[in-house]
Amino acid sequence: MFVMNFLIRRLAQGVVIIFLVSLLIFTLLRVVPGDPVRMMAGGMAPDALIEQIAKDMGLRDPILVQFGRYAAGVVQGDLGQSFVRPANGAATGGATFNDSSRGERAEVFDLVVDALPMTLQLAALALAFALAFSGLVGIAGGLAPGRWPNKLAFYISSIFISLPNFWLGIVLTLLLSVKLGWLPAIGYNGFGYTILPAIILAVELSPVLIRTLTSSIAAQMGASYVAVGAVRGLSRSRIIANHVLRNASVPLLNLLGIQFSGLLGGVVIVEYIFDYPGLGLLTINAVLQRDFPLIQGIAIVTSAIFVLINILVDLAATSIDPRLEY
Amino acid sequence: MASLTSDTELPTPMLASQSIARRIFHRAVRSSAFRVGIVLFVILLLATTFYPELSGIDPTKMNVKARLLPPLFFGDNWSWAHPLGTDQIGRDMLVRTLVGLRYSFLIGVLSVVVTLLIGCAFGTVAGYFGGRIDAVIMRITDAQLSIPMIILAIAILGVSRPTIPAIVIVLGLSNWPVYARIMRSVMMTERQQEYVRAAKVSGANDASIILTLLLPLLLPPVLFTSILDIARMMIFESILGFLGLGVQPPTPTFGNIIADGRKYLMNAWWIATMPGLFLGLTLTSINLVGSALETARNAIHEGKS
Repeated sequence: MFVMNFLIRRLAQGVVIIFLVSLLIFTLLRVVPGDPVRMMAGGMAPDALIEQIAKDMGLRDPILVQFGRYAAGVVQGDLGQSFVRPANGAATGGATFNDSSRGERAEVFDLVVDALPMTLQLAALALAFALAFSGLVGIAGGLAPGRWPNKLAFYISSIFISLPNFWLGIVLTLLLSVKLGWLPAIGYNGFGYTILPAIILAVELSPVLIRTLTSSIAAQMGASYVAVGAVRGLSRSRIIANHVLRNASVPLLNLLGIQFSGLLGGVVIVEYIFDYPGLGLLTINAVLQRDFPLIQGIAIVTSAIFVLINILVDLAATSIDPRLEY
Repeated sequence: MASLTSDTELPTPMLASQSIARRIFHRAVRSSAFRVGIVLFVILLLATTFYPELSGIDPTKMNVKARLLPPLFFGDNWSWAHPLGTDQIGRDMLVRTLVGLRYSFLIGVLSVVVTLLIGCAFGTVAGYFGGRIDAVIMRITDAQLSIPMIILAIAILGVSRPTIPAIVIVLGLSNWPVYARIMRSVMMTERQQEYVRAAKVSGANDASIILTLLLPLLLPPVLFTSILDIARMMIFESILGFLGLGVQPPTPTFGNIIADGRKYLMNAWWIATMPGLFLGLTLTSINLVGSALETARNAIHEGKS
């Protein structure tokens, strides 16, 4: 009963957030200068033709009218069609714009669904790397406040947070794939191509995880149940493994929920450098080509994932620590 | 600095009577991370302020005879005149990097100032007045926080001309919700305090309570946290430059030097990697100082000394 109530409330809030995100993106795209029709029709197209096309596509209506039309489609599961990408996946280009060919353009939904699994694979691997590494460094640091593992954790996180992801991508490509030939780097041609981008993302994610883990473990070690556990005859390793880690993982879980949009920002850059065919590359191309429906579709899908992840995180946190209420 | 550091030797009862901001600062100064960070930062700051002018090398001047020279002690044709080597058209990498650092730091600081102004204003209003204004502001922050700021920045700078003010405003606007939330939460707890109620009873209006009582007390700890954001903004500035949406060439910035050097990665690795090393060092120094301040702030809020 409690879980049902919780789910209904959070899903309702989630719908509000998704609605606000799409409204925000929708308005922003239309307020900012840069005419998508100009991009589609090519620089040489006469102004009259551009106006004509824009009118036919409804791009000259008031923003709220356009948004209403779009939202009505989204509610029925229709994210619209890309402005520039053809369905057959051939090269994009505006010069051949021709209104009768509109039907051939790719569905935003298909584009997103094709790219999403690639990005999820990358994100999952990055998260696994980041958790393994920051678990090692963070737990050691949290158990030894004031001593060298703690200092090490502090300096590692300070240095990692200072490495620009695109630069690290270039340096590691140079080292690991050009000089040493250990890992493949550019494009996607099998699972091996995920490893290097995932390492870059993991480096970007780790600092916050290490900091949180260190401080929450240090705080838990000072709690009275740790001292009582020793009196009850539990070994130190058992107290740490069964009780401290369990309690210390709650702030970590919450952090993962918040870090999601940061991770997504990193994904955009990393996929761009490595030419990895995921959602990030799709996003950056869509933004640079002013492909409004595609940007909106991606924003809706990612904010939906954001909402779902945060609901799952809160559910997991309540099952770990039943005192928490949401 | 000298008079500030000597204050740390004061007995603890005196410390307790100091403002929270000064106690945080004193605690941070005692940590080794803060000292390492500040020394590194001052060296880099002096280098970026004086070296380009003192060396008399123009960061945009080409010299085809001295093109693609490697950094010191690498390869066989390195020279003392170009400690970090030269790029594909013979421009000195050290000067270009240090000039890039100037722009990066300038944009980083200015965009944090913009963020602070907007974020703290909204957060203060939301936290102090509560109710419907609070609900509206918080939902807007929710929505904006779920969109990665880099996408917003690319979307806007991709079409408008990426001048320095435009970049500062875009970066500043993209991060304000974080500060709105921090400010709101401290404001909400503080407005319940007795001295605020006393001021209200004695007839002070809301504006003067906020400006004379609450902000001087609550703002300094937030300012300490914002040092970490200067580093984040500098990274974002370099990402934008890398994508070609930052300050435009021929002005050297970290982003456009690295993007340029990427093309010559195979035969001149130093063009892309050296500026990044400098950026990394600068950011590390800022992050060490910022984290030391943050650790000190957390310790003091938990009531240790």
